[in-house]
Amino acid sequence: MATAQDSDAARSDLTDVAFDPITRIIGNLGIYTKIDFPARKVVECRSTSSIFRGYSVFMKGKDPRDAHFITSRICGICGDNHATCSVYAQNMAYGVKPPPLADWIINLGEAAEFMFDHTIFQDNLVFVDFCERMVKETNPGVLERAERTPAPRGDVHGYRTIADIMRAFNPFEGEVYKEALRMSRLTREMCCLMEGRHVHPSTLYPGGVGTVATPQVFTDYLVRLTRCLDFVKRGVALNDDVFDFFYEALPGYEEVGRRRTLLGCWGCFQDPEVVDYDYRNMNTWGNAMFVTPGIVVDNQLVTTDLVDINLGLRVLLGSSYYEDWTGEETYVDKDPLGNPVDQRHPWNQTTLPKPQKRDLDGGNYSWVMSPRWYDKRTGDHLALDTGGGPLARLWTTALAGKVRTPYVRSTGHSVVIDLPKTPATPEVRLEWKPPPFPNTIERDRARMYFVAYAAGMALYFVERALEEVRAGRTKVFQDFKVPKEAIGAGFHEAVRGVLSHHLVIRDRKIANYHPYPPTPWNASPRDHYGTPGPYEDAVQGMTLFEENGPENFKGIDIMRTVRSFDPCLPCGVHMYLGGGRTVRQSHSPTFGALA
Amino acid sequence: MTQRTAITVGEPEVRPDKASHVHGVRQGNHKGLYKRQPGHESDDRSSSRRSTGINPGPKNPILPGMPNLSPA
Repeated sequence: MATAQDSDAARSDLTDVAFDPITRIIGNLGIYTKIDFPARKVVECRSTSSIFRGYSVFMKGKDPRDAHFITSRICGICGDNHATCSVYAQNMAYGVKPPPLADWIINLGEAAEFMFDHTIFQDNLVFVDFCERMVKETNPGVLERAERTPAPRGDVHGYRTIADIMRAFNPFEGEVYKEALRMSRLTREMCCLMEGRHVHPSTLYPGGVGTVATPQVFTDYLVRLTRCLDFVKRGVALNDDVFDFFYEALPGYEEVGRRRTLLGCWGCFQDPEVVDYDYRNMNTWGNAMFVTPGIVVDNQLVTTDLVDINLGLRVLLGSSYYEDWTGEETYVDKDPLGNPVDQRHPWNQTTLPKPQKRDLDGGNYSWVMSPRWYDKRTGDHLALDTGGGPLARLWTTALAGKVRTPYVRSTGHSVVIDLPKTPATPEVRLEWKPPPFPNTIERDRARMYFVAYAAGMALYFVERALEEVRAGRTKVFQDFKVPKEAIGAGFHEAVRGVLSHHLVIRDRKIANYHPYPPTPWNASPRDHYGTPGPYEDAVQGMTLFEENGPENFKGIDIMRTVRSFDPCLPCGVHMYLGGGRTVRQSHSPTFGALA
Repeated sequence: MTQRTAITVGEPEVRPDKASHVHGVRQGNHKGLYKRQPGHESDDRSSSRRSTGINPGPKNPILPGMPNLSPA
């Protein structure tokens, strides 16, 4: 596919359109496209990142117990996901199982994070692309139709027409925009109650948490959660109305951002009754997670086994500014079950940065590597994406049929979410069904359904945590010893998708540490097989629906597609100062203070 | 201008992989430390001694079957 498009890309009638940097996201993502304006089609797309961070380089030699505090700083919005994932990897390496209440507390903190981050991204960043002012500039015909189209779920959310909803999305002045900001305050408070701080938690540790489990802390959480539920119920209805309208107003819009179904989810919310953080039992406790891990290829669930998922990880190069590490040290040749571990697996990766000029014509053009999943059935290296996170999570959970809680259930073909009556709204039953194929609209739609999912789960987690407290079992921390040599792997979901941390300890220090967050998967460039990364793949071949011509082209359809993946570059690459300059001055308030 | 403060800081210019743990200093995660924590019982429960060292006794439940829900 890439070859055919590349040969098309050599045509002279194409217009180069570059979006660099992409705004409303964190980081240095650039999208370089070649557009055929007469045919209204994107012919070629390349996704680049001009930032290198080097976590995998500077983590080496540090005390592993610091890992979650350091890796939390990878991101300024989902840092607690990194901290949690690092804690999981450390629990495995130290062989420690935290008390049940500690796991419920982490689950509660993470559920609040999902609600916070998805709401702020969807309502304050994504909806700017769907608001009245934007649509007026890009598709005036659509706005005119929206003024005449009544909102089918107006009784739930209170807006009469679709254009009224779009006006509520207007940044800084729209009602939904402002309410989402108020909600994000509540959900951040929920996260702080459980994890001490947001977004860099202060009370998450390997072996447990430092949160003092009193009935008060859980009721404070519950009060805020109940207030959010009103917003969540209305939010899902608003989303469905607007997205359904786009399909109706722009026939063929389902093809925007369409990609083959190649979704990965590493699972989240551990079940304390099952999880022991032992690699040898990872399949069992992975399947007990309250978001089922799994890989969906062509709408079929391929596996839910975290061991399979782990062993299939391959980090490829091809268009990235790194040297290959095949000749470097192999840290882990066999996993604790005796399975061979590939040299391209994160456990064995050595990051060798090689800064160079960007070459978009067949050369290297990004600091992001190309993580792929090796499908042993076909021998393919699949460029999995996360669908922005929620799409993959809901899809794997729906097909696996393993989640059974009072508020959220998986039916084997859908996910049913029951939200109870709250002050302003009656009880609501929501059902998310997998769409025929992933596209821009479905990635965005799934996001609000996952907020409802996280809210339903949070209700269940509060009940379970209070059961522990009422029984007097208030222990939240288990002691452990750092082994001289160990390996660990943490699998979790960052808000925008799959997150794994791979850790190797030698001489009680970190010998190798590789965090693989969602954006390296989504923003990856072409690998050495020529397979384009998910952004590139979703944008290439896309039909443009924007009414503007080349002179005042905004690229709204391309932007909607890239933003539907919830891009976040700081975690895409793991400090380059330019010009070969190196800062050598260092000062540490702790290292050696007591020596 | 160099400002002098009374805060004890570590030596500057240490290697990045210098161990953050100093041999002989007690580790918070140390095995067996749990039983030395006042108010934390061996059956995973806790008493009011966990919350305060000042006259904790009367703050415990009045009946043995009651859960001990000490304040933070």
